[in-house]
Amino acid sequence: MSVYKHDYRPFAGKVTPRWMRIYVLSRYGAAEAWSSKITVGLFVLSLLPLVIFLIGIYLANNPLARALIVKGSSGAIDIDAGYFLKMLEFQSWLALILTAWIAPRLISFDLADNALPILLSHPVSRFGYVLGKFLAMFMFLSIVTWIPCLLLFAYQAYSSPLPWFAAHLSIAAGLFSGAILWITVLSILGLALSSWVKWRVVATGAIFAAVFVPAGVGAIMSAILRTRWGFLLNLPMMMSVLWQRMLGAHPIFAEKYALPTPAILAMLLASCVCFVAMLNARIRAREVVRG
Amino acid sequence: MTDHATLHDRIQFENVSKFYGEVLGVNKVTLSIPPGVTTLVGPNGSGKTTLMNLMTGLVQASSGTISVLGLSPGNATEFFRAVGYCTQFDSFPRGLSGWQFVFDSLMLHGMDKMDAFRLTVEALDRVQLGDSAGWPIASYSKGMRQKIRLAQSIAHHPRVLILDEPLNGLDPMARAESLALFEELGRQGMHLIISSHILDEVDRISDRVVLITGGYLIAEGNIHQVRQEVRDKPMQVLIRCDHPELLASRMFSINHCVEARLHADGQGVFLRTGDIDQFYSMLNGIAAEGVIKINAVAPADDDANAIYQYLIGSDGSAS
Amino acid sequence: MADTVGSFSRSFAQQPWALWRRQAGRLTLIEVRRNLFSWKASWIYFLAFVPTLLIFIHGLVDRHFVEGISDDTNVLAGIVQFYYVRLGIFFGCLGIFSRLIRGEMIERSLHFYLLSPVRREILLLSKFAAGSISAVLLFETAMVANIALMYGPFGAAGRDYVFHGAGLAQSEAYLVIVPLACLGYGAVFLLLSMMFKNPTPAAMLVLGWEAINPVLPSVLQKISVASYLRHLMPVSIPGEGIFALLTVETEPVSGWAAALGLLLLIAVVLTYSCYRMRRLEIRYTTE
Repeated sequence: MSVYKHDYRPFAGKVTPRWMRIYVLSRYGAAEAWSSKITVGLFVLSLLPLVIFLIGIYLANNPLARALIVKGSSGAIDIDAGYFLKMLEFQSWLALILTAWIAPRLISFDLADNALPILLSHPVSRFGYVLGKFLAMFMFLSIVTWIPCLLLFAYQAYSSPLPWFAAHLSIAAGLFSGAILWITVLSILGLALSSWVKWRVVATGAIFAAVFVPAGVGAIMSAILRTRWGFLLNLPMMMSVLWQRMLGAHPIFAEKYALPTPAILAMLLASCVCFVAMLNARIRAREVVRG
Repeated sequence: MTDHATLHDRIQFENVSKFYGEVLGVNKVTLSIPPGVTTLVGPNGSGKTTLMNLMTGLVQASSGTISVLGLSPGNATEFFRAVGYCTQFDSFPRGLSGWQFVFDSLMLHGMDKMDAFRLTVEALDRVQLGDSAGWPIASYSKGMRQKIRLAQSIAHHPRVLILDEPLNGLDPMARAESLALFEELGRQGMHLIISSHILDEVDRISDRVVLITGGYLIAEGNIHQVRQEVRDKPMQVLIRCDHPELLASRMFSINHCVEARLHADGQGVFLRTGDIDQFYSMLNGIAAEGVIKINAVAPADDDANAIYQYLIGSDGSAS
Repeated sequence: MADTVGSFSRSFAQQPWALWRRQAGRLTLIEVRRNLFSWKASWIYFLAFVPTLLIFIHGLVDRHFVEGISDDTNVLAGIVQFYYVRLGIFFGCLGIFSRLIRGEMIERSLHFYLLSPVRREILLLSKFAAGSISAVLLFETAMVANIALMYGPFGAAGRDYVFHGAGLAQSEAYLVIVPLACLGYGAVFLLLSMMFKNPTPAAMLVLGWEAINPVLPSVLQKISVASYLRHLMPVSIPGEGIFALLTVETEPVSGWAAALGLLLLIAVVLTYSCYRMRRLEIRYTTE
């Protein structure tokens, strides 16, 4: 065929900006995670405690309803930093369960089915791929952590006299920054472990193990070496201390166990750097041979 | 006595159906496969692998009965001594070398180490993997992985060998070697059940064909017989001669000849006829006249490929 | 009746026991080789030996006085009670035993075993045996090392405590608890891995069940690995927070009854797993 007869032309139409393509991955990742009935069930489960906390706020601000519903109980419910700390802790534990379920669905399938070479042969960088998945994870966790917590804070501010809001604004800031910190760590941890262990089944277990086993090791270290620094391996404990300080609640642990805030933040940062390094090592366009 | 002997010499499916939930795998398949090379032909998702998995007990029939040489997969000890299955799953137990893979498999037969060693060497030599037997399977190319699976399935000298897409991933040389091996095994009296999409290559060694699509059995039997039975499709014959144009014009004078096409080298003609018996009778007459010198006559669409095209069609739906 | 018994014993004797023994031996060897001698198994070594490493460091850096033996005894009891039983053996067995069948399904290699001339029950029991050998070998070795490293630095006083004092009974108890925990959790996770495509959420429910078990009615307490092990613990350590639940004493049970109860639980779980194995189909596309 003569050259002038060739009618094949590459696509010359308008394309979306590069940064927008990341949302395609996020959207598909979210759709994949949402396609499981268990994801939906876990979401519903994650929102149930908030209903209880909402009722608590309603009762605290409505003496008549309290008298009718909680008959014979004269004790008032204190809606303070401690109340919101409990709420945040509850939601954060549920966020861990959601991470263990959702994160492997975002990455492990791509690795197990050798989809990475296909995805990365598109104009999407490795960083873009990870960012897309991270955003999907972050969005899921936001829905069960800081967004509902702040909504309940707003409801409490609306229900109580004006000075309450101004006096307790630090709680809102603490809820927001504490939850953002936690879900950032969880998202990176979930994605890193999912990319490393490849199989979804194993990844789910590995995410739980990565939180609980170092906590146990840290406890042994503290007990056996008679030091408080072992608790630097205890992620749940570190976060509890951090949230308590951010929200300005009463200390949860005895002073001898309390770790300095800079040490906790440095440990979280170091963990995130390790997780990013793990992602960097694994998210590559290569075929995985089963054998 | 005859029935008993037949049962112990054949692979039998009696009214076998398999449903995966609401999805049909195969439906009411009745088959009796004698020794020799049998090709399973059908489009993707037609039920070929399901049929093979049913044969070997990897999936269990929803209804009907299956026996292989009178044995049932439930009796694993006897059954898998007689049967070898080279699946199309491109995966292996983790961390093994090619040698360990075959050797361990033979040891599970209860053999002693010497016998297992000897048979491993033999199987690896047969698929020409002897040099790379010590490498981890994870480092093998796709073709080598296909070969090591084949070696594992033939190592224990089974009487029935089931091969699911055994030519996938092999280069032309390796394909030719594998086909020669299958042919040799078939000649030795082994049952070979092969599913493959490379029909023209498998066709050369195949005695029988089983056509399946959408879970339904379309046809089965000797390739030539099946082709003969597809009477509504005109048969194509290639005639090598010195005056192909003249022959074409002569043959077109009869009304059952529906198509003529010259061979690319100009030394022959493809003729398509609706009545093959009359066609050959007329061809005899022309040859006897001596005007046209006929060098060779051969059916051009009497193969698995043509049967596939006629009965299943290029879109995979049975016609 | 006598005929039935006679025919059963004849049929029992006619089974190819020697072949099954060889097949089981080979399968166990293959599985143990994979569980213990591959880089991918290094995480199990970590789970088993990380307390050993910490005890070793403690032996090196801290000074040891005779009065410290009781403190270290409590620390060792805490390690067994809270770390090994709740975390180390739990997650170790989750990894080892879930992989035996479900892992092969995920890696699409189970069909090679199902296509070998081995009865499926033998396959399952051999794999269970291999998982048990791997887990028991690792955690029991770690336990022996823990005891030696914990009391070794006390010199003669430590040796006296372990071989002639209260330490002897404690060590014996720990060396019984560890294999029972491995077998118990192993059987449960093997079953879960055969029942669910992703057994981990179910395993996390087991973790929760084990935690709340001491406050449940006594009938429900019998469906728990930790409850049997709790009765075998030689030293009771009051836990803090959620771990406090584990130390709630309910109905006292003798050590023998607890061990037999656990073995019975394992037998029931394995019998049901064999039944599931018999009906197992290879459908990798749904994994």
